[in-house]
Amino acid sequence: MAGEDEKGKGKARAAGGGPPKLDRRDLLMGLSTVPALGLFGYAWNKQRQYQQARAEAATAPPVAPADLQEINVALIGAGAQGQVLTEAMLRIPGLRFRAVCDIWTEYNQKRVVNTLKRFKHEVNGYEDYREMLDKEKAIDAVMIATPDFWHAQHTIDCLKAGKHVYCEKEMSNTLEGARSMVLAARDTGKLLQIGHQRRSNPRYIHCYEKLLTEAKLLGRIVTVYGQWNRGVTPDLGAPDRYVIPETRLTQYGFKDMHQFRNWRWYKGKGGGPIVDLGSHQIDIYSWFLGANPSHVMASGGQLYYDPKTHEWYDTVMVVYDYDTPLGPAKAYYQTQTTNGSQGYFENFMGDQGTLLISESEVNNAGSLYRDPNAPAWDEWIQKGYVSAPQLQEVKEKSDTGAIADVRESVAPDRHTVPVALRDPYHQPHLQNFFDTVRGKAKLNCPPEVAYETAVAVLKVNEAIEAGFRLSFKAEDFKI
Amino acid sequence: MRDGGPDVEGGLGIAGPRELGDVRRFSHEAMATSFEVYAVHPDERYAAQAAQAAFELTDRLERELSRFVPNSDITRVNHLVAGEGARVGPSTMECLVIARHLFDLTGGAFDPSIGTGLASLELDADDFMVRATIDGVQIDLGAIGKGYAVDLMAELLEEWGLQHALVHGGFSSVLALEPPPGRDGWPLTLSDPGAPSRVLARLSVCQTALGASGVRKGDHIVDPRTGEPARGRKAAWVALPRPARAGAEASAEGPRMAAAAVTDALTTAMMLLSIEEIAALCERSPGLEAWVLPESVGGPPGEADLIYFGGRL
Ligand SMILES: NC(=O)c1ccc[n+]([C@@H]2O[C@H](COP(=O)([O-])OP(=O)(O)OC[C@H]3O[C@@H](n4cnc5c(N)ncnc54)[C@H](O)[C@@H]3O)[C@@H](O)[C@H]2O)c1
Repeated sequence: MAGEDEKGKGKARAAGGGPPKLDRRDLLMGLSTVPALGLFGYAWNKQRQYQQARAEAATAPPVAPADLQEINVALIGAGAQGQVLTEAMLRIPGLRFRAVCDIWTEYNQKRVVNTLKRFKHEVNGYEDYREMLDKEKAIDAVMIATPDFWHAQHTIDCLKAGKHVYCEKEMSNTLEGARSMVLAARDTGKLLQIGHQRRSNPRYIHCYEKLLTEAKLLGRIVTVYGQWNRGVTPDLGAPDRYVIPETRLTQYGFKDMHQFRNWRWYKGKGGGPIVDLGSHQIDIYSWFLGANPSHVMASGGQLYYDPKTHEWYDTVMVVYDYDTPLGPAKAYYQTQTTNGSQGYFENFMGDQGTLLISESEVNNAGSLYRDPNAPAWDEWIQKGYVSAPQLQEVKEKSDTGAIADVRESVAPDRHTVPVALRDPYHQPHLQNFFDTVRGKAKLNCPPEVAYETAVAVLKVNEAIEAGFRLSFKAEDFKI
Repeated sequence: MRDGGPDVEGGLGIAGPRELGDVRRFSHEAMATSFEVYAVHPDERYAAQAAQAAFELTDRLERELSRFVPNSDITRVNHLVAGEGARVGPSTMECLVIARHLFDLTGGAFDPSIGTGLASLELDADDFMVRATIDGVQIDLGAIGKGYAVDLMAELLEEWGLQHALVHGGFSSVLALEPPPGRDGWPLTLSDPGAPSRVLARLSVCQTALGASGVRKGDHIVDPRTGEPARGRKAAWVALPRPARAGAEASAEGPRMAAAAVTDALTTAMMLLSIEEIAALCERSPGLEAWVLPESVGGPPGEADLIYFGGRL
């Protein structure tokens, strides 16, 4: 035991690079003796309030309470994401589904209409969104989850028809499209929220507001790394019996069933994995860095899939430059579709600490590391902004060597983000939209913000084609 | 196809998959196990796409049903305190309703709340609301979720026109649809989980779900009724024919019969129920069959005989 004590001390010193910080250790020991203290105070309360609000919402009857104005909603695009949005919206009180529009009437449309009927929403199905807008006058808000190349037209026509719109990312497959959406929102005075849902995720908001802005735990962020890697999967198909007739496909801009199902890979329809996946995370880069990029260089290739049916790059590696309020920074982003190693996450590296976070809490609970020379985080631990390092376990294991063991566990300084998201990923972002419709909130992703992200992201494909570094001007991001 | 002997795990397997001819196999990791689709179809690409769609369904179910996923329906349910309610998706509700039904049917031997109070959760299937009447109910659908996923995967494959197929989740839950052409069933083996080469029974099945539960030497499962470790069983298997129309709605007597979910849950119960109780359950339930491998007392290890229940013999 004595030997272990010595070892422990030595480690603590080496790691700290100076004399052991007794005050800090004592404080942590104090915390460790009271169960659940790592989550006390701010974070605990916040989590509790959040859960209470959610529980109240959940126990509320499906019809909105008297003081809650019921919002009539419609969905355009009942595919994979349309179904995810629908499921999340079914958990939000005060919504009344009126209509579902999808050109795949025999499959996706039918599925969503049936689900909604099971939840007692009497909805009408439409193939043509214009017919829906003509007939369903009561609709207040439209959710758009069609392929990217349809977003601008769908959004603008809905706004002009007097509806508020929640439109999925990527805002549009072209900058002109995205720009015209911003202008339409301004002209009509209707709300437009773009589906970068991390902007409303309580975990990301906690990181931005509390950890980066208030506590400045990372110091100055100089580099960022992020990725979304996926393993090989077959192209999307469709059951034989539900194949869409060719005339309908062409009417809506698809050359065949393969393109209809795999539009993401086609030029003029989607933007490939960098736009599909990268846009979520590059949006966070700008948000957390407090700046839009100044330059971009990128390499990409059609390395693996049939280039005839995969017109966009299956592998992309990007480096952005930023002039942040705290100084210059570089951010790397990678997406590839042939190996899912380590999935998806964003890693912000500052001179005083590291924040490693992912939307998927299963994959990454949100890790924080303090640089050994950075100021202690005791205050933030006490406030509940970050968890205490896990001390209890280590302490219990030893009877006499408590101090040494505590030090040993302090050395790596791994903390976690003590806020959990218990709802489906998109629910808080949708809730923010509906709260804003009711005049009780501000949009977390208005079109101007999503436009800035579109500018940063769509430029990657251009940079790959150009083969050299491209620069952004400040006015590129403004409309 | 894998080379060599049978594909076996935990006491249930496919005999000689290599001899099955034109069967394609697709695998996917989910719910901490390996899901597989065996299917006969002339178009490899089409079959792969159908299997992929089935695997995506499994991933979605895992996101809703897993207690390890921080924002799943089940995690939300597990955080309810008395008087609170949570809205859940249709799949979660259906799986919970089936689970509740089997809890009642087995007198609590199958208990996804492991003694924390399943009966104190109100399942409002009309409104898709789960309400807690006490604090601290902890649901773990681990003993039914794989089976339920297998049921839904099979329905999806049929929708895609892949009738000649077999789906399984880690071999603890198997659902055989139509057999490969020229065969009267999918050849399955029941074997000693401690000694997989010791085949105890061979079956040829179609439109049937088979579930397996077993313990390796030294392991035990906890009886949720007593909280004590259960002894005396090495393995149990349950077979149940699939109802004529798989997607059929729930009837007045109970939830719709998702055959693989039911067998998955029942195998856990059969590890705990007495021989008399198992016999009575099989008698009351037409079509239900069970095999139980007792722990050998005395004698050389692994030599106890299989006990069969049901109408086959
Ligand atoms: N926020 C997120 O996390 C997230 C995740 C996935 C997808 N998305 C976005 O959601 C959108 C849809 O993606 P998806 O994966 O659901 O695609 P999908 O191909 O599965 O679904 C698209 C649906 O739109 C329908 N559709 C196509 N053109 C139409 C038209 N003109 N009118 C009406 N319906 C039409 C199709 O029939 C299909 O059902 C995309 O913009 C995508 O980027 C966002």
